[in-house]
Amino acid sequence: MLPATALALGVLAALLAWPVPAALARARWPRRDPLAALVCWQAVGLAGGLSIIGALLVHGLAPWGHSLPEAWWHWVTWQDSAEPVRGDHWVAQTLAAVLALELLGVLALSGVRTARTRRRHRALLELLVRPSDTPAQGETLLLDHPAPVAFCIPGARPLLVLSSGMVAELDGAQLDAVVAHERAHLREHHHLLLLPFVAWRAALPVLPAADRAHDGVRDLVEMRADDVALRSLSGPDPRRTLAVAIVAAAGGAGGQVPDGALAVTGGPVAVRVRRLLAAPDPLPARARWAALASAVALIFLPTLLLLLPAVV
Amino acid sequence: MASLGELERTLMDRLWAAPGPVSATELQQQLADRGLALTTVHTVLSRLEQKGFLVHDERRPRRFTPRATREAHAAELMHEVLGQAGDRQAALARFVGSVDAEDAAMLRALLAGGDGAGSDAAGAR
Repeated sequence: MLPATALALGVLAALLAWPVPAALARARWPRRDPLAALVCWQAVGLAGGLSIIGALLVHGLAPWGHSLPEAWWHWVTWQDSAEPVRGDHWVAQTLAAVLALELLGVLALSGVRTARTRRRHRALLELLVRPSDTPAQGETLLLDHPAPVAFCIPGARPLLVLSSGMVAELDGAQLDAVVAHERAHLREHHHLLLLPFVAWRAALPVLPAADRAHDGVRDLVEMRADDVALRSLSGPDPRRTLAVAIVAAAGGAGGQVPDGALAVTGGPVAVRVRRLLAAPDPLPARARWAALASAVALIFLPTLLLLLPAVV
Repeated sequence: MASLGELERTLMDRLWAAPGPVSATELQQQLADRGLALTTVHTVLSRLEQKGFLVHDERRPRRFTPRATREAHAAELMHEVLGQAGDRQAALARFVGSVDAEDAAMLRALLAGGDGAGSDAAGAR
């Protein structure tokens, strides 16, 4: 039973390491329904990790039993294996352990490092900036800087920051749109959706899919925040208001183009603007449910492959 | 009753404005109209020091100096926010990243009603 399981998991892992993320990154439907696409990306990430580690584990523990739970129990209780243990079993076990530790370790490390940076940013902001009530409602901080910038720092006490350059560039309705967009990020905890992909991109620099997945999630999170912001905006043409704000913020930074790997090209920004100016047809309910069902199935598949042989 | 953050800001403002190192007693005197206890000033100063905003010298009584100017702190923050420090995740939700001049022109053309040259720049990646 076990070799077949290991093979099936291996095939699934290979699919999730390359063709599936590539197809999802290339697909055009995600911009019509960013939320469903975000769910799919999370499922791809989770199922990918589960199946590659599962495949290695199942193969490595094969001599100890006929199903993973059984073999695992025999292994941790130091029982003798039923079949002779070859070198490749040890290699697979070691790889599974290393990979699991790396993925979880990098995730934890990335989380801790991010939390520390945020704490420092927050302390700096609280020192440099007086809370202002001039721009748009509530706890918006006004940072004195000519570049038009808006951002938020997530956390238990989230902060929303507008630069004076941004306030100078935009009118009241546009500022409201910017603030609504940032609030959407905070309310839906988009930083948590992005965190695993930031971490795994760092953990698996050799895997192009990790890059693709990260960029895909980053762009979708922005589109989702645009969609949520639109719902709370009044005015004659909120879509256009938000689009104008985006273009002003993107173009006004004059020469401040980041040159590192994190540079944002015109690509995703143009997609955002285009889908604001001409609203894409929402995904039909059937297609949306199909996407969500595939995401759920994707997580269940490796789980079942790992556990089912113990039952049947 | 001012909040702790407000007090920290006030003390830093004083220290940034001061020509040289300042002791806690001097700060308390400068802020006499607020009626702060000396222990309060000390508490706030040590918090600021823990956060890395102040250094003190070895005299008695200790005198405090800001570690960097206000402008340097602001520049450091913006540097990271603009993504040049390579740690974008921390300030995740920057509204829009900067784009180069060509892309900016294309975006403006989009707004103006043109269909935007290179409409597949976004799809191909």
